[in-house]
Amino acid sequence: MPSVIEVEHLGKRYGSTVAVEDVSFDVAEGEIFGILGPNGAGKTTTVECVEGLRRPDAGRISVLGLDPARDTGELRRRMGCQLQQSALPDHIRVREAIDLFASVTPGGPDPSSLIDRWGLADRSGTSFSSLSGGQQQRLFVALALVNDPEVVFLDEMTQGLDPAARRTAWELITEIRAGGTTVVLVTHFMDEAERLCDRLVVVDRGRVVAIDTPQGLVARFGGGIRVLFSAPDADVSWLDGVRGVTGVSRHGPQVKVTGSGPVLALVASELVSRGIVPDDLRVEQSTLEDVFLSITGGEAEPDG
Amino acid sequence: MSVATRLTWVEVKLFTREPFSLIFAFVFPAVILVVLAGIFGSQPDPDFGGVSPSDFYLAGYVAVVIAATALVALPVHVAGYRERGVLRRFRASSIPGWVVVLSQVAVGLAAGLIGAAVLLVVGVTLYDAGVPESPLATLWVFALASCSLLALGFLIASVARSARAAQALGMILFFPMWLLSGAGPPPDVLTEGMRTISQALPLTYAVRALQDAWLGRPLDPTNVIVLAAILIVAGTLSILLSRR
Repeated sequence: MPSVIEVEHLGKRYGSTVAVEDVSFDVAEGEIFGILGPNGAGKTTTVECVEGLRRPDAGRISVLGLDPARDTGELRRRMGCQLQQSALPDHIRVREAIDLFASVTPGGPDPSSLIDRWGLADRSGTSFSSLSGGQQQRLFVALALVNDPEVVFLDEMTQGLDPAARRTAWELITEIRAGGTTVVLVTHFMDEAERLCDRLVVVDRGRVVAIDTPQGLVARFGGGIRVLFSAPDADVSWLDGVRGVTGVSRHGPQVKVTGSGPVLALVASELVSRGIVPDDLRVEQSTLEDVFLSITGGEAEPDG
Repeated sequence: MSVATRLTWVEVKLFTREPFSLIFAFVFPAVILVVLAGIFGSQPDPDFGGVSPSDFYLAGYVAVVIAATALVALPVHVAGYRERGVLRRFRASSIPGWVVVLSQVAVGLAAGLIGAAVLLVVGVTLYDAGVPESPLATLWVFALASCSLLALGFLIASVARSARAAQALGMILFFPMWLLSGAGPPPDVLTEGMRTISQALPLTYAVRALQDAWLGRPLDPTNVIVLAAILIVAGTLSILLSRR
């Protein structure tokens, strides 16, 4: 797959504050690429440089073969973006907003079908300020797609949505990609990144900490699998010798086995063959969230 | 439809959906005109340069309508756009800044024309006030005064950090101008100090120029030059400031 976006050694400072120190990544055509990081990590600044909304101080950016700082006009016609902090006039109605933004690049998708597709058909005469948070977000996504873009940037698009609305938004993102559009997703929600992204870059304090698939990150940084069960009286020190086991520890009746690969199946079969049949045998696997906390030094915050 | 036409049309509709702007631009000047013309009457009066107070105020209040939209409604609207990220949203979708400016100027001119029509109807029906003596001169002076005050409004919008700040700033400029620039008490009854202040207020020149054109008096070039200078200086400053 050819690269749609190439970022090399991007740097951006505001006065004496360094927002982005050194960030590099590539985004392939047709993928959902996540940019993950704690608050103030430089995610939004990075994306805004890529979108051509800010001028980087250092590094090289290419989007669809264009330089965002120089070919801003052409790039804006071929990309779509949903900004983190933006709004529409309070009293503008859904249909008016779609028609207004569509008039910038004639020849895009039919406004009515766009309104239908994003579930706003019964809201087309509603003013922006009367929409719910979820409806406003859907409108912003519809506006980002109004020019049938080749690449679309979604910055914290599920911010402030209730769980049901977030699920719906996830389905819609998958749909955008199914339509052939490359998606760049900025988020600090781990479940969102894990569920949607093909690959992601983790940014912390303006630097890239890791780039991989969500599974790859969990495998690399997640610290393996933990098998837990209760065995109050049995001696289980022999578990050390089971294939895949890297450690055994006991806290009262609770035994914790750490390991990797098919360690759960092997431990279970050994236990049964020795007549130990615990009721509460279970497995814990690291999530992207654990990985995130471990590689960014545990500074994830719940919002912002 | 082009982006410029589309946004202008949207802005016209947004203006009509904002009760504050509507009342401030159309109702407030008409009510004050009714009160002032009621107080001072419709007989020619030496305090008003020999014309009837109702004629004097009718022309003056056309300038007040322009100022209400340009110095209060527009800055609040545009500063609110910047504060809330509407301008960023527009920019990210390639809606150019000049289109935003153009649409606001169009709304300002349209609001001024409608406001003037309201005043004309009120003045003529209630006080038998006169229609413009030289319509063509009135029209171009109206356009110049509008653009000049709108440029001042854009300057307020580019200085204010929020809609609230813009409203405060706009009001602070608007009310003294309204009272001292010839649309409040007749200029001849003002004290020396107040008259000096009134010389420094942009609206004074808009009121004088509009009264000259409306009442068929020869235009004083000073007024026209001052208005043009305000347009150029305020326009240039606000362009420079909003590019920061």
